Amino acid sequence: MSERGLSLPAALSGHVVQNALPVAVAVIIAIFALTEPAFLSTDNLVGIARQVAIIGIMAVCMTFVIMTGGVDLSVGPVLALAGLAAFYSLDAGFPLPVVILAGLSVGAVVGLANGLIVAFLQLPPIIVTLAMLSMVRGTALIVGGPEQHLIRNEPGYSFIGTGSMMGLPVSVYIFAAVAVFMILVQRRTPLGLLVAAIGDNERAARLSGHRTRLTKTLVYVICGLGAALAGIIQSSQVHTALATYGPFGTELDVIAAVVLGGTSIMGGNGSIARTLLGVFFLGILNNGMNILNVPIDIQLIAKGAIIVAALAIAARRG
Amino acid sequence: MTTGGPPLLRGTGLAKIYGNLVALDDTDFSVDPGEVRALIGSNGAGKSTLIKILTGAVMPTRGSVEISGEIAPLGDPSEMIRRGVACIYQHSNLAPAMSALDNIYLGRQPTRRFGFVDTRRQRLKAEELLAHHGIDIDLDARVGTLPTVKQKEVEILKALALDARVILMDEPTGWLAGADVVRLHDTIRMLKARGVGIVYISHVLDEIFAVCDTVTIMRDGRVVAESAVAEIDRPRLVHLMVGEKLARESADAALHQRRPRGTGAVRLSARGLGKSGVFADVSFDLHAGEIFCLTGLIGSRRTELVRTLFGSDRFDSGMLEIDGRRVAPRTPLDGMSLGIGFVPEDRHREGLMLDMNVTENLAMATLGRHCRGPFLSRSGMVRAGRKAIEDLSVQPRDGSKVVRLLSGGNQQKVLVGKWLSRSPRILILDEPTVGVDVGAKAEIYAILRREREQGAAILIVSSDLEEVMTVADRIGVMVSGRLAAVHDAGTAAMADIVREIGGGSA
Repeated sequence: MSERGLSLPAALSGHVVQNALPVAVAVIIAIFALTEPAFLSTDNLVGIARQVAIIGIMAVCMTFVIMTGGVDLSVGPVLALAGLAAFYSLDAGFPLPVVILAGLSVGAVVGLANGLIVAFLQLPPIIVTLAMLSMVRGTALIVGGPEQHLIRNEPGYSFIGTGSMMGLPVSVYIFAAVAVFMILVQRRTPLGLLVAAIGDNERAARLSGHRTRLTKTLVYVICGLGAALAGIIQSSQVHTALATYGPFGTELDVIAAVVLGGTSIMGGNGSIARTLLGVFFLGILNNGMNILNVPIDIQLIAKGAIIVAALAIAARRG
Repeated sequence: MTTGGPPLLRGTGLAKIYGNLVALDDTDFSVDPGEVRALIGSNGAGKSTLIKILTGAVMPTRGSVEISGEIAPLGDPSEMIRRGVACIYQHSNLAPAMSALDNIYLGRQPTRRFGFVDTRRQRLKAEELLAHHGIDIDLDARVGTLPTVKQKEVEILKALALDARVILMDEPTGWLAGADVVRLHDTIRMLKARGVGIVYISHVLDEIFAVCDTVTIMRDGRVVAESAVAEIDRPRLVHLMVGEKLARESADAALHQRRPRGTGAVRLSARGLGKSGVFADVSFDLHAGEIFCLTGLIGSRRTELVRTLFGSDRFDSGMLEIDGRRVAPRTPLDGMSLGIGFVPEDRHREGLMLDMNVTENLAMATLGRHCRGPFLSRSGMVRAGRKAIEDLSVQPRDGSKVVRLLSGGNQQKVLVGKWLSRSPRILILDEPTVGVDVGAKAEIYAILRREREQGAAILIVSSDLEEVMTVADRIGVMVSGRLAAVHDAGTAAMADIVREIGGGSA
């Protein structure tokens, strides 16, 4: 076969592969919409946005970590501990801004610890954050105990997770704000470029005069803050703080969304905008399968298989 | 050389066209048994394409390949290996944690029943191979612990274990020290005596004259000349390789006016600099407007020394002054704020973000300059990048190109450009032209001379004596962590320097 004969279809398939994720999102929307028209109802679409906000905020904030070649497995318990911190601050009668700061500070502290250990002691992120997952969960259990802590009569706090403005939930606005802010950081600030540079070649970045260790610490702090913010929204949404929120598997959903968005798990290339696509892909998949009454066990298997298939297609890009 | 029979390996009318680009244009090429044929040419001349066709990695658009007179199937790497064509690449393809023996037979060990590896037979076969080719290697040594030249020999043995009759060597001496190059050449002569055909690709002309019988010179996708090495001289070779214009420029450059001590002002002054167990008592001055070359053997601690000047490592004794002020840079950032630029030795590991584009790489040391408030000005980066690409004539002239896809010479220009964009007062370059073709070398030298004219103090670490003699105003020789001698390049004799590099005994 001549080289020229091959070139056109090859170019075409390259194009398809490049846009595999948007196409996949469109395809699953079409499938769900055709089989169950209720899928396209405004209520359901708003519902999807609300459902993905929590994982979405975490995934957007995790993208930089993965771009530097790291990972943060400790987001689940951070979510739980941040909810508890908010609950106890409310209980103690602090004003709302202090409550939110208390919740966020959990994420900042855990993220700082992760970042300092990974960047300055140069230990592997997967082990460091796995250990942190265990420690933070333990701390959450000590702080919160086994019982549910109800958050009642706190209209200000409840507004975060359950309020709505102009027909859209507040949590969706928060998600959108975080996403826009992080996209701006990635595309328009030196930090965005530096994060990619560290993932590509950390030594070269350092030899070009960049404070690579501080930057790496910072991205874990951002990731921790994202998980804490998600924890605040979740506890507000369900009016409860509980030490076992953000169960095993939360971190996998977050990482899956980032990686589906095309961010290389080896670091370097990545895009927060595409992480959003990954988030919605997973969210729509969950929602559609729920609407079609797919049993939860089958859902788990289908979700895993679809993630692997999507990654296999994306890997052929390289 | 010729034995009368058909050549071991022959390509006829080979061509490779990618879209509008003719990478290789109706090329004939052959190697006889016992022949060492040099294949030279600038990057982009078509050497790699030719090699890839011969190893089956690339399907040619036209043409045919014969092995010992028999037509070989094209575009099938495993079939070419089976028919005895092996290739050794510049970068090692060995498993460093495994023994030499296991590496040689990796993936095709002799087996007993049930698929167990027959270790006894494997060892016997390997020892036979060693004896037959007169190569001496500890088969049980872990490959990662062997010196680079021994690793090359393991790769050669790996090829021979496949009954390779032709071995293509792509810049086999890229990271070897002088003595090891000689060793590798001895091995090649041994193979030649046993009737193996060798294709030897190198940018180092000395090596061509040392070990090759014949030479094929390529330019712009064509073979421009073939000759016996004995019948061609160096200027003619360079001339054929780079074409009319560049040849003249490089000849001019070689005759450039040397400027010992530059314009006089001392930019950097080291007094008794040391780092325990690494180097000791190094004293020298670096002047504005001069190029000072530090030469010596690999392992003579030149890299370690210059890293402490920049701040990517620290010295622990002695005194360093820059512009008359005593300093002790502790991080690369310190070095940069003192006006130092540093082009590291290994552009892939330490220099470039390979998956980022040319513009981004060029801006990597000057991000602060492209900021408007907290924001990065992409358009400013692109403008600066476009200018640097023009100034350095980076090919292709496209800032959005991913650096990994550029040739070695153009990658190096991007790396040098990254530092030039800071207009460094002191520029340190560690082995600035390893794996860079002759044409790009000349361009890089021209760039460095231009910087010197503008008053930069330039310190170059180089093991390539040809380079040192071409570009240096003054030459420092390092031996085992000490600065053994400093010469004015205008009056230094090459023979003296060679003797000093070897510690005075060679």
